[in-house]
Amino acid sequence: MSPWVRLIIYLLGAPLLGGLLIGWDRRISARMQARLGPPILQPFYDVLKLWGKENVVVRRSQNHYVAFFLLLVIFTGALFFAGSDLLLVIFALTLAAIFFVLGAYKASSPYSFVGAERELIQMMAYEPMVLLTAIGMYMVTKSFFVHDIASYSTPLAFALPGVFLGFLYTLEIKFRKSPFDLSSSHHAHQELVRGITTEFSGRTLAMIEIAHWYETVFLLGWVYLFFASTPWIGVLVALLAFVGVILVDNVFARLKWQTAVRSAWIVAAVLGFGNILVLSLLH
Amino acid sequence: MSSFSKSPWIIHYDASSCNGCDIETLACLTPLYDVERLGVVNTGNPKHADIFLVTGAVNEQSREVIRNIYHQLVEPKVVVAVGTCASSGGIFRECYNISGGVDTVIPVDVYVPGCAARPEAIIDGVVRAIAVLEEKNRAMMAIANSLDHVLYRLAHKSDAPEILALQKVAYQSEAEIYGDESVPALQQTLEELHADFEGTSAFTAPNSGASLVESKAADRVVFIKAVVNGKIIGSVGGFAKGDSAYVNRVVVHPYFQGRGIGRRLVAEIEKAFAEARRFEVFTGSQSERNLRQFRRLGYSEFKTESFSPAITWVYMQKERSCPLSPLSN
Repeated sequence: MSPWVRLIIYLLGAPLLGGLLIGWDRRISARMQARLGPPILQPFYDVLKLWGKENVVVRRSQNHYVAFFLLLVIFTGALFFAGSDLLLVIFALTLAAIFFVLGAYKASSPYSFVGAERELIQMMAYEPMVLLTAIGMYMVTKSFFVHDIASYSTPLAFALPGVFLGFLYTLEIKFRKSPFDLSSSHHAHQELVRGITTEFSGRTLAMIEIAHWYETVFLLGWVYLFFASTPWIGVLVALLAFVGVILVDNVFARLKWQTAVRSAWIVAAVLGFGNILVLSLLH
Repeated sequence: MSSFSKSPWIIHYDASSCNGCDIETLACLTPLYDVERLGVVNTGNPKHADIFLVTGAVNEQSREVIRNIYHQLVEPKVVVAVGTCASSGGIFRECYNISGGVDTVIPVDVYVPGCAARPEAIIDGVVRAIAVLEEKNRAMMAIANSLDHVLYRLAHKSDAPEILALQKVAYQSEAEIYGDESVPALQQTLEELHADFEGTSAFTAPNSGASLVESKAADRVVFIKAVVNGKIIGSVGGFAKGDSAYVNRVVVHPYFQGRGIGRRLVAEIEKAFAEARRFEVFTGSQSERNLRQFRRLGYSEFKTESFSPAITWVYMQKERSCPLSPLSN
């Protein structure tokens, strides 16, 4: 498949798949709590509704930051699925997250401020492991390009079990799931109102949701990359990873931010760095 | 069926409830009732919510909070009063610190009776609220689609109830600026507005300001309404006395503010008082927006007067050298 075809499939298919995955997430979560849960299509209903609502802002410019956030998240995924450089993908993703944080800062409300600060802390927590993942993949395949990594003959997870587990750990942070739902919890009521998304409403909030759909597909795509040599196993593992994230979300209470950072860095050091150390010693 | 019916997000506030209704409200989220299957999310953020559930009677401490939350909810929004206390004040109605049901502070769309209201009744209330939400959304869309067709017409006494309702909605923002409900426009009764139309009242006379006392014998009273889709979305009243015309209460529905409707209303009423050489208006000293608008229309301040500890009126005037001849209209 040519990169352009993959790109177009991603641009059109990712929001559909991402929305369905989030709907599925809410349903599984409900079932885990012995509830019936909303319909699978609920995220689409929500976004359609938000699109029709009034858009109230503290400062008009806060909406531009969110627009850039959405654009850059889409761009990140586009780079990834077109088979581009993994390092570029990581930094594009970081830039997207920074725009989101800037938007929240711009709103200058105490809740969105603290949410933004916590989002930065979360980024600090997952960033080392994400970089180590890219480095680990490079050490095995001798390339930072996603299309080279995807066409590697054996599953990367065999050579990178530690990096794989460490990446799953960061997935939990990246999805803002409990125990790492510090900056903005999708569950009812938290001490920060809605954290980083507090001051966004209407269409802007819908854009944040859509960005979240793209992000979900992109991150699961990265999980797939660990088993890309046999596609069906890759897809299966990605879905299992998603269910695992939901399970952890429902089982754990939230951690303090100190514990979140410390644990993420310990995981990065032991699983990520340890794995890479072993690899370099073996070669 | 619009997407509103499938995704009603709720914010719940306890005004001064005994917690009976609160517990029943939260029971709706439990596995037994599970309102999330209807797409309901119990969000703690007014900016994300569509439906405002209030439990308990309103007391002096909660009224400001209720008003604040109500104003932070984004349109279209619906208010549901849950339980007897929230609906009418219940057994606390006569208490010295209770102002009554939620509708004494903000407009309520759905009342859920019961002490405590049962979860089934609350869910029923939410379902009814969804219908109101859709209705409001339709009205918003219809009006948004016909915004280019605002009609400016003379208003008559029969329009008074609609104008009064509009006035109460539009002046909420003023009450918020001053943190004071004594803003006369919010206190006005229908009888008083009728009297305004007949020119027999002191026209809201905020105090014994000289010009307003004289007004009791107004030469001519004119009310103008701005109409969209048969609904009054803006109004202005005024009366002429000798050479002067006194313009009063430029009211525009919050949805339509910032679209030049207020300025157009003032222009229309200035045209209606063709014989007047001088126009006078007054507004609160902290209503920056009003002051700015009137300055843009050529008005300038000439005196201030204290009305209440919170409110000071600023009087503004504008001279017109050549009165319009009545025929030029």
